[in-house]
Amino acid sequence: MKTRPLFLGEELFKLIPQRMPIVMVDVFYDATDTEANTGLTVTADNLFCENNKLREPGLIEHVAQSAAAFAGYDTYRQGLVPKLGFIGEIKKFKIYRLPLTGECLHTHLAVLGEAAGVTLLAAETRVNDEIITSCQMKIFIKND
Amino acid sequence: MEKQELIAKDNEVLAEEFEKEVSEITPEADIKATLELDSLSLVDMVALIENEFHVKIKGTEVAQIKTFGTLYDFIYERLNA
Repeated sequence: MKTRPLFLGEELFKLIPQRMPIVMVDVFYDATDTEANTGLTVTADNLFCENNKLREPGLIEHVAQSAAAFAGYDTYRQGLVPKLGFIGEIKKFKIYRLPLTGECLHTHLAVLGEAAGVTLLAAETRVNDEIITSCQMKIFIKND
Repeated sequence: MEKQELIAKDNEVLAEEFEKEVSEITPEADIKATLELDSLSLVDMVALIENEFHVKIKGTEVAQIKTFGTLYDFIYERLNA
């Protein structure tokens, strides 16, 4: 039996600072200390869609917001207000194909390491079982 | 894993990842200076060590590891703990 995702639709606003029309994550399935799963259904009215395809900046933004949601979830479950996060670096970014409108992206994030307040994540986005994109991303959270 | 084997593997993967000569990596050498690590790239070294040796390095521990010698000792102790 499938369990309900942890956050759906506007519930994601508890985790990320972005608001419509720039929100590029619409589901946060689950997370552990070191892994998380997010998703996005590509719609024709998506800001990053062109000719029924989600363009490259949209894919990058989706992964970035997935990472932001992962970081936001960590603070959320501690009962804290999500802090502002920054992308330090994106590397090894590979796009195998652009997703079409109507397709559901499923992104898996895994922490590869942490040091000096910087977290290195590996991200892999699939449509069904097909890998659409993969990359590594460094993020850091601004502490007050 | 024997310590000499560990040192050789450690030097090899770090030299390759950070595009250095293996000869530059000595026990006394400062890690950050030798590998030209900054606050963003330090995590690359941590991730590499965790991936290659399956040894977790916590943030507080990273601060204590200054030279390659202390890094070898840290990994060796963890592998034999």
